[in-house]
Amino acid sequence: MNQLIWRLHYRQVYWALGALTVLVVLLVVTGINMANDYHSFEATCAATQSCGGASSILYRGDGFVIDVVDSTLVISALFGMFWGAPLVAEEYEDGTQNLVWTQGVTRRKWFSVNLAWVFAAAVLWAGALTILVSWWRSPENAIDGRFEAFDVQGIVPIAYAVFAVSLGIAAGTVLRRVVPAIATTIGGFVAVRFPIDVWARPHFMPAVTKLYPPGSQASGPKGAWALSMKLTGPTRAPLSCGKSVSLRCLAAHGYHQSVTYQPAGRFWAFQGIEAAIFVALAVVLIAVAHRLVLKRDA
Amino acid sequence: MSGPALVPPAIETSGLAKRYGSLWALQECSLMVPQGHITALVGPNGAGKTTLLRILAGLAAPTAGSASVLGRSPEQSEEFLSSIGYLAQDVPLYKRLSAEQHLEVGAGLNQRWDAAGARQRLAALGIPTDRPVSTLSGGQRVQVALGLALAKCPRLLLLDEPVAALDPLARRKFLTSLTEAVAEGDLSVVLSSHLLHDLERVCDHLVLLAASRAQICDDIDHILATHRALVGPRRKLSDVEPGLSVVKAVQTANQTRLLVRTDGPVLDPSWQVDEVGLEDIVLAYMGQEELEGAAHPASLGAAS
Repeated sequence: MNQLIWRLHYRQVYWALGALTVLVVLLVVTGINMANDYHSFEATCAATQSCGGASSILYRGDGFVIDVVDSTLVISALFGMFWGAPLVAEEYEDGTQNLVWTQGVTRRKWFSVNLAWVFAAAVLWAGALTILVSWWRSPENAIDGRFEAFDVQGIVPIAYAVFAVSLGIAAGTVLRRVVPAIATTIGGFVAVRFPIDVWARPHFMPAVTKLYPPGSQASGPKGAWALSMKLTGPTRAPLSCGKSVSLRCLAAHGYHQSVTYQPAGRFWAFQGIEAAIFVALAVVLIAVAHRLVLKRDA
Repeated sequence: MSGPALVPPAIETSGLAKRYGSLWALQECSLMVPQGHITALVGPNGAGKTTLLRILAGLAAPTAGSASVLGRSPEQSEEFLSSIGYLAQDVPLYKRLSAEQHLEVGAGLNQRWDAAGARQRLAALGIPTDRPVSTLSGGQRVQVALGLALAKCPRLLLLDEPVAALDPLARRKFLTSLTEAVAEGDLSVVLSSHLLHDLERVCDHLVLLAASRAQICDDIDHILATHRALVGPRRKLSDVEPGLSVVKAVQTANQTRLLVRTDGPVLDPSWQVDEVGLEDIVLAYMGQEELEGAAHPASLGAAS
């Protein structure tokens, strides 16, 4: 079984190892630079008591690397497209399910061993990358907080990878054709990731609201994930501030700058919730694919 | 119905049916093939040959009825899967792997695996085992696929139109290697084809599927012994003596020509009785379907 899987899929493994190596080199080199910059900045900051513009000293000339890190968002979709979708679909497309499912190995075993390998590969790859990115981003995490780059670090990249692979496998099993399965995987991945990212994640836990004086530039406590900032005040209260409305006058009339945010300390809780959602979806998809492989005519 | 209790039939089906959407690919298919035979599975296109073989190989589930292969129902168990070898019509192989790599991989998929025998057979045929199978000719690929099916040391080999894509020479080589393999061991074979001529040389048993039913299922010798061509003065078919069942009738101005099935001698002396070849018998049964459409003739499908 393992020999068959290696023979059929070793190219994918080499591609993945190659890509991972490139990313490791890139991130280790720029990460060390960034860490050095950050340490010297901290030293100056402690000495002079002026710590403004922290972010600006980081990533000098490293805009490209930031793009690369952001693009690691896409990698889980690639797992689904190139590892998940062909897994069953390619067998159907080449007719080889008639060969492999009449050998002395049950379909149940064939499916579970394939699944074990593809998930092990996806988890290892995504796990290695998320550890690397979390380390690479640690200076910026210290300055801006980890919520800034929620979906490229922590445990969610692994959950995305597991979900994408499951989606690919399920699509390939249902459609029995590689290219439509790949297209479905891309579409499905975006269709699930986007709404959760934009609409669901801010509400995983009730947000906290904090009031600041009008005109404040504050966006919540350090490292918090600011969801909204707006001027709030008494409704329909007459405003008698003379000709020009000053901030001081607004404050005197009970106006505030209201910031709604998720505290920095909730990062891991949010990671856990989001990962659980994607893993649960993956379980459902795999259950569907498993049933089809076992029960449907080959 | 079944033979001695200790030796289950190679194949036994009862009321087997398979429907795809609204189309019946197989209906009320009941047949029994004892072990140790090379059985020809013949029938017109769309008669359900592939469907029957896929059900027997455990790749498709019947809509109704039951099938048993070597006394076991086709199911997802290692015991069942190890006992059969199956070669699909499109000769599926992993195109990027070589024959040798297929043999290596097969060793990991099967408890019994005769790689040495398979290598020997491929070497004897001069088939390169180190090139991706996609670079081999159609005939060579069929030989590789047959080699893989035989390397499993199956007790029943199900071959779906294996010779269809082969030229006459490759066809002969294939059928020869098949008969050699059968001679070597405890093996039954079911071979589907519409090239009856080839099958007649290697098969000793025949199943005829037409109109998605089994019309004949018998030893070829017995089929030949029980079918006769009759020519005589023109008469109504209802006047034919009761021991004869008419498979095909042709009425001319003053003659009646019949192809009949009979277990005894033809008694009516006004008939000129001749022996018939297998091809004519099979074509007569297929023609019956053409003439009568889906109407089911008197059931002759009962196993002998």
